[in-house]
Amino acid sequence: MAVQHVDPAAITVWRWESALTALVAACALAVPLGPMSPSVAVTIGVAVIVLGALFAWSWPVARYRRLTYAVDGLGLTIQQGVWWRVQIALPRVRIQHSDVSQGPLQRRYGLATLKLYTAGSRFTKVELEGLRHEDAIALRDTLLSRTHVG
Amino acid sequence: MSAELELQPRERLHPMSWLFAVIAFGRQFIVPLIAAALFGSREGEPIWLATVLVPMLLAAVWKQYFYRYGFAADALVIREGLFFHNIRRIDYARIENVDTERGILHRLLGVAEVKVETSTGGKPEALIQVLSLAAADALRRQVFARRSEEVEPQQSTQPSAPELHLPPSEVIKFGLIDNRGMVVVAGLFGLLYETGLLEAWSVSLRERLNLQTFDQIVAGDWLIQAGVVLATLLAVLIVLRVFSVVLALLTLYDFTLARAAGDLKVRYGLLTRLSLTLRLSRIQAVHRTETLLHRLFDRVSLRVDLAGGTRGQGEQNQDAAKSVRWLAPVVEPARGDELIALALPDVRFATPPQWQPLAPGAHKRVFRMSAFFWSFAGVALAAITREYYPLALVAIGLPISWWHARMYVRYTGWALQEDALFVRMGWLTRTLAVVPRNRIQTAQWAESPFDRRHAMASVTVDTAGAGSRSDVVRIDYLERDVAVELARELYTSVAHDEPARHAERVLT
Repeated sequence: MAVQHVDPAAITVWRWESALTALVAACALAVPLGPMSPSVAVTIGVAVIVLGALFAWSWPVARYRRLTYAVDGLGLTIQQGVWWRVQIALPRVRIQHSDVSQGPLQRRYGLATLKLYTAGSRFTKVELEGLRHEDAIALRDTLLSRTHVG
Repeated sequence: MSAELELQPRERLHPMSWLFAVIAFGRQFIVPLIAAALFGSREGEPIWLATVLVPMLLAAVWKQYFYRYGFAADALVIREGLFFHNIRRIDYARIENVDTERGILHRLLGVAEVKVETSTGGKPEALIQVLSLAAADALRRQVFARRSEEVEPQQSTQPSAPELHLPPSEVIKFGLIDNRGMVVVAGLFGLLYETGLLEAWSVSLRERLNLQTFDQIVAGDWLIQAGVVLATLLAVLIVLRVFSVVLALLTLYDFTLARAAGDLKVRYGLLTRLSLTLRLSRIQAVHRTETLLHRLFDRVSLRVDLAGGTRGQGEQNQDAAKSVRWLAPVVEPARGDELIALALPDVRFATPPQWQPLAPGAHKRVFRMSAFFWSFAGVALAAITREYYPLALVAIGLPISWWHARMYVRYTGWALQEDALFVRMGWLTRTLAVVPRNRIQTAQWAESPFDRRHAMASVTVDTAGAGSRSDVVRIDYLERDVAVELARELYTSVAHDEPARHAERVLT
């Protein structure tokens, strides 16, 4: 059982996502304030963008480092989280169905998210983000094929 | 199409079905209706009512007139509607439960509401509203007779001697233990407030209460004040308990748990009579609860998690309360253990669980958390009231926290048996969860920043039936290595469950 990282391009995708979120947040805060006091609006907007940019630069690297997965004959184990670390182990016999999905940013970098569904009640969906699209499909096929053991 | 060619369902609903459809529909508008009745203008009322009632009535009659059900060779077929035809086929093999529910009106008319449940979860697959008792029984027999032959056919109709029957005295005990009277009081209070009666009453009370007596109490010494407060509290407590007992008698009267065709059958209720089947193959976990009051009466409560049962799916809020599937609302502890064994036939209870403790430092963390809570409450109150005496909370809180931490850790533990995971937790309210290992869906361990500082972690297991938040099986404050090992162990044992075990044997 080899512990693997997802594709490094995931860092880029997460950076873009964080940066865009920061931009939207900055606009959402600054625009309503604009008519009242332009200087405050600009200050807040710039502050949010700067903080967001710092976050977008550093956080995805930490997140990438902490996100690992391992496939063995029994199923899939995902470990993730920078502050709150969680490892979830999903036996393949418990997988009900699966999705491989791609957002627009992910498509640009050839990445995908593998979603596995169980019949459970609280963790019915287990997601693994940032795999190469072809790897995600291969992984899904491995997990779903009943004959593969070991 | 094939369904239509195969079979035209012919069975009809009970002739009085429209009445229940109207009531079910009307129930959603009960609050506005009451409000309208209380405050509405008198002249417009009949017209207003008619515009609501007539379409309702028409819809109900329409539905009843075109509703048909029937039994195909392998499925229950239900046809609804005339213009918008809807034909639903429910394979007998997939039907998990045929439950009936009977309110007062149902019982007066000799009919029952029938719910056909499959393992899909969420809403019942079909709600047949309503059938005569004979028809409901016939439907149940048809479905179960065709579903599986491995079940002994004789037993299904003749339930054996009950495994548990609660006489009224036991139900009263449940009422005394249970805290649901609170809900009733809160509901009543809300209703009174909404309708404005509360205000009217408090005004009249104030008028009737001699102002002088009130002044005397306020001016009186602290003994009288304390007495008044105590008496009020006591009265509230008694009222709450009385409501709880009444509610318990209404809902759980004549609670009977019996074995039927290899599964468990539960029937209860005074006015609304529920008849449920707990299929053993669907039971995911058993929870035992023991509060301080339970121990006072020497009783425990047992609940089961059922796969695909009514989970709170947003729109099904009324049913969420019903998803508490009682195995036994109150039962002697020894009998309770026997019932747990009955509900989980896959688990061998002969071997006593090997209880494992929490991490050595766990009590310090429990203490710190509890102490923080008390201190925060004390300081916050002091800051708000600008007085010093709330700080006494801190002084009281520290020893309580210390004691709580000690006891909590003593009564919390876990045991990983060959076939099940046992988790017991808590001190004042003690819970025990038994999860068969072959029911576990996923196993995970998690580590918060606080956990990491103490090299601890928590383990959570997920089954297909954990409905409410409080039923999640989770062990906190484990040593990190122990948690990792436990999660690993659970994962491998699950993965070796049925189909995989097969594949593995073939290949090795």
